[in-house]
Amino acid sequence: MSHDSTTPAIERLAEHRAGGLPNLVEARSRTDRAQDQLRRKMATLDVDADASVVLFGSWGRRELTEHSDDDWLVLVNGPARELVRPTLEEVGAVLGVGTRKPGKRAIFGVLSWCGDLVDNIGLQDDDNRNLTHRMLLMLESTPSIGAEAYDRAWTRVLDGYLAESRRDRRLPRFFLNDVVRYWRTIAVDFVGKQREDDHKWGLRNAKLRTSRKVLFAGGLIPILRCHDLPRDRVRPFLIEQLSRPATDRIADAFLSLDQTDAGVRCLGAYDKWIGMLGDETLRRELSRLTAENAAQSAAYTDVRRLANDMQAGLLALLFETRLAPTVREYAIF
Amino acid sequence: MLAPRLSLLDHHPIGIATGVFVEARGDWPTLVEIARGVSPFVTELTALSESELPYLLRYLGVAEDLAFAYLSVHAPSKGRKVPEAELIEMLRSLPSAVEAIVVHPDTMVEPIAYRRLGHRLVLENMDMRKATGRTADELSPYLEALPAAGLCFDVAHAANIDGSLREGHHLLTRFADRLRHVHVSSLDASGHHVPLTVRDERVFAPVLHRCRDVPWILEAPLREP
Repeated sequence: MSHDSTTPAIERLAEHRAGGLPNLVEARSRTDRAQDQLRRKMATLDVDADASVVLFGSWGRRELTEHSDDDWLVLVNGPARELVRPTLEEVGAVLGVGTRKPGKRAIFGVLSWCGDLVDNIGLQDDDNRNLTHRMLLMLESTPSIGAEAYDRAWTRVLDGYLAESRRDRRLPRFFLNDVVRYWRTIAVDFVGKQREDDHKWGLRNAKLRTSRKVLFAGGLIPILRCHDLPRDRVRPFLIEQLSRPATDRIADAFLSLDQTDAGVRCLGAYDKWIGMLGDETLRRELSRLTAENAAQSAAYTDVRRLANDMQAGLLALLFETRLAPTVREYAIF
Repeated sequence: MLAPRLSLLDHHPIGIATGVFVEARGDWPTLVEIARGVSPFVTELTALSESELPYLLRYLGVAEDLAFAYLSVHAPSKGRKVPEAELIEMLRSLPSAVEAIVVHPDTMVEPIAYRRLGHRLVLENMDMRKATGRTADELSPYLEALPAAGLCFDVAHAANIDGSLREGHHLLTRFADRLRHVHVSSLDASGHHVPLTVRDERVFAPVLHRCRDVPWILEAPLREP
């Protein structure tokens, strides 16, 4: 079957797997339908020219299930001010209603100023919330309304990273360091949350092992692949890569680096996990688990196995292909 | 730019099967320590004779956490005396730290009974000395009857069946999703596992390249330099 360059990498990889990647493909269709519906609901809202409503998480990964939360914020690529349209109340009346409400930590359902994301990279003002907003914007986001403002904000953040890149065949290390820092922050915060409150430990742990890892790998791998590129090709490469969901970036890497079989197994495992996420009974079982009793759960054992299979594929991509010297050169120090 | 030549033996994780260490057979603590000296990440505890299995079970029942990232047990394929159902229950009682239980398909009397081993069951492709389980077509009914089972790809066995390794590639394509780990060695003229030769390392490279994401287990010592 011939492909044009617009065939998503996940579909090209799926052709090599008996049975394809049905859960991922279905999740994308579901997300697209939900996005269309949402845009229609939001169409009546007034939107400032420099504002956008941005969705994250499974919206950004295009992996929506019936049980997904609506993680959103209003992103403003303009001067700080009191009144921004749409207001948080207006958006909150449409998104994050009932059980779909975002978490309690005031990361979502808030205003975010693009200036803070660009000007506060590192140092004291780059708190957990600022880092999270910036990373999720770059790696796992999609606009609902205000797409042009979103695009300008997104490229403004990217250009903030790339300003430090001045030479050919050098990957954008500033961006790489921030992505790696974010992954370690997620992992450390997991334990921090557990110490405060082990509510839903099992489900959170399962997501850390799977979806959060895809988030990280989906940023890490395209950045590492920049090492082959002249400086003026880095920006268009990253724009093209990061405009696609993380699973497409990962699939594209497996195909490009001649590791199709490992890619089939890696994303095959992730596809099974996406199927599990749609199962309410399973979600409830995982949510009830603690660190102490998880090993007794067959469901949790299955998730761990899938997560290990997924990780094994990603590690083969990083360490057993021509990417390996780049990983060694840049990924540790 | 020089493309890095990835030596097969730079693969991670790669470990060794305890069946290599004939002189220590039956001494499980020593076998585990020798295997750990080759790799602390992966090993296969070889209980090829049925008489070895009870001692292995006893050892694993009292041993502290062996801490291998991937621990396989090779189930008995010779000296079989106990009824199959009893053997299956013995294998099922292996601790949860054992992630793979390798079974030769030609020794299975009632394949469907092995469903009790669930996802841990791994079927190995066989060599010319065996009656079945050697090719993708011969393995297919077993893997269909055992949907949770995986494949242990023995590259030397695949080369023994078809020196061109087309059948080896076919196995990897047909059962891509089922691959769990790989056995690595050469075979001598009698079909016994011997150190991987220079020639075989070159010949096996294309199929092994397709297995870079799973553990590899050496079934013979590394060749002398």
